[in-house]
Amino acid sequence: MRQFIRGLQPASGVGAGRDLRADAFRGIALWFILIDHMPGNRLGGLTLRNIALCDATEGFVLLAGYAAGIAYGATLDRRSWSFAAASLLRRVGTLYVAHIFLFVVFTAQVGYSAAALESSAYLDELHLDVFGEQPYLALLQALLLRFQPAFLDILPMYIVLLLLLVPALPLLRRPALLMALSGIAYVAVRLFDLNLPNWTGGGWFFNPLAWQVLFFTGAALGYAPPRPGAGRSVVPVVPFHPGLVAASVVTLALSAAVLLVGDYREHWLAELPLPLAELLTTIDKTGLHPFRLLSILALAYLLGHAVPRHAPWLRGRLAAPFVLMGQHGLPVFCAGIFLAFLGRLALEMDDRWLMQAAVNMAGLAALVSIGVVAGWYRLREKGEARYPAAAAADRLQPAAASSTTAT
Amino acid sequence: MISGAGRILLLFGLLLAPPAARAAVPACDLPLELLQASAALPATARAASAGRLRILVVGGASVFGPGTSAPAAAWPARLEALIRARNPQLQLEVVTRGARGLTTAETADIIASELRTDPPNLVLWQAGTAEAVRGLALDEMVEALNSGLTKMISAGVDAVIMDQQFSRFLRANANVDAYRDALRLAAAAHGVPVLRRWDLMWHWADNNQVDLERAARSERAAATDLLNECLARAMQVLLRDGVDEARGRPGPRP
Repeated sequence: MRQFIRGLQPASGVGAGRDLRADAFRGIALWFILIDHMPGNRLGGLTLRNIALCDATEGFVLLAGYAAGIAYGATLDRRSWSFAAASLLRRVGTLYVAHIFLFVVFTAQVGYSAAALESSAYLDELHLDVFGEQPYLALLQALLLRFQPAFLDILPMYIVLLLLLVPALPLLRRPALLMALSGIAYVAVRLFDLNLPNWTGGGWFFNPLAWQVLFFTGAALGYAPPRPGAGRSVVPVVPFHPGLVAASVVTLALSAAVLLVGDYREHWLAELPLPLAELLTTIDKTGLHPFRLLSILALAYLLGHAVPRHAPWLRGRLAAPFVLMGQHGLPVFCAGIFLAFLGRLALEMDDRWLMQAAVNMAGLAALVSIGVVAGWYRLREKGEARYPAAAAADRLQPAAASSTTAT
Repeated sequence: MISGAGRILLLFGLLLAPPAARAAVPACDLPLELLQASAALPATARAASAGRLRILVVGGASVFGPGTSAPAAAWPARLEALIRARNPQLQLEVVTRGARGLTTAETADIIASELRTDPPNLVLWQAGTAEAVRGLALDEMVEALNSGLTKMISAGVDAVIMDQQFSRFLRANANVDAYRDALRLAAAAHGVPVLRRWDLMWHWADNNQVDLERAARSERAAATDLLNECLARAMQVLLRDGVDEARGRPGPRP
């Protein structure tokens, strides 16, 4: 499996500087997202959201920003802004199509489970089936990203985040300015309660206008400025500082305390002064509450320093599946959302231990296989590109032949 | 899901139940760990001691017991009958208000207007369903709860929150957990007990006691009656715990 990992192939000079930590943690985040997207899944009690005020979504967005900062930042420097923008837009297009596909799957699932469980009489007050009530309008609203069923809310946010990156790309070279603008926007969005509109009422479940601050933080961290004459510099990191470490530890401990009290000892909240207790009930995920933002940043800072860049386990057997998943985040993520549908259907039929185990093992195995196949494919693709003349000669004849048969 | 310890079978009340409900007398399990109020209900305790209790039930369609065989089988009506049977001398009034698909802000408005005209001693507030099902703004639900509960407490009125109904369909198709957690936290912040209907119904479904989604069409009305009966009994246990807590003598807990 490890031979498919970018940055581990002995011959590859380009990927040698790749930060496998980001890949590994991204892979873990993708796995957690799959688990957390299956309510009723017992493994959901063991993911990050149970011990921190942030969860896999925050991790995913931060690392998506980090990956975007590396990839599109490099494109920006090697080629041009317009080329980087075009490749960003191409990625956005892919994500959009993937989202619409998943929407169709979701609609089919609602119809199927409504019929399977005879729930129409029971769930009398539920207007869950908006698609059944106004199919044409629902389709239009879905295309406009104004109708986002439950569990289909991360991709639309990701789409908007990448779109925001298009004009912001040149600012990667001036991270202080980028972060100032992004921070001001975050504060304004939270103060004035701004959000993108949602057809069924309210705003988006994940407000991209607020979450951009996390994404751009990742992008600014990931971007490595070119060094004159000597390739690219090493990705800059926030330096080690005992004060920052202490602050991060305190932040995470407080966040775990708030969460654990809320989960297991919620009646303790009544002992707090009411304003403080009410504040703790309003830690929202939609607008990326500052506590959640601080939690993920603290976690990232500690992990970034606790796990050295060249930690041997990152190159080991155990990490390999997650590294591969992280390196091919898009197909793995989309497949994860799709697999979560299947998993929910399975758990809807039977949520006992055997089914729980089967769903979780099949889910992880599917994600890993997608990572492996994508890694293998990329390797082959690159392998051919390395011998452009031979590859072109190879391609010439079959291409000519197939063009006559295909048209 | 829930350990065997701490369960009691509530079979009493069986003889006092009216004929309509006797046909479907439940042996539903009432897991005590789900039914501890962890909060006092002082206004209810005072009203009960004074011999006059007024309860307001507010919520979406489920407060009218849709799918039951008769209006008297809806859980608020069954709760009223259970309390009457236990305390025959109590002057009890149970008022039920609500409508299909009401949001928490809308039910909060109903409560506010009742507080102005004819304040109850206790409000049973079923909330959060419309939001979870339609994916409405979570923060608006929390704000409505926070301001509604603050108003009730400052008016000297007790409150109990009731959360969403358990349903595999809902669990698979809506992000219920986020709304359920928010509801629980908001109630806890105000020291208000929650009748954890989701957990209770899940428990009953897991133990094949009441499972509407698996009930055959012909059995559905009976199963719905049973569910409402079980919910009423659960609410009664929770209220008694809250009243005991207010009187400073915790009830016997096996």
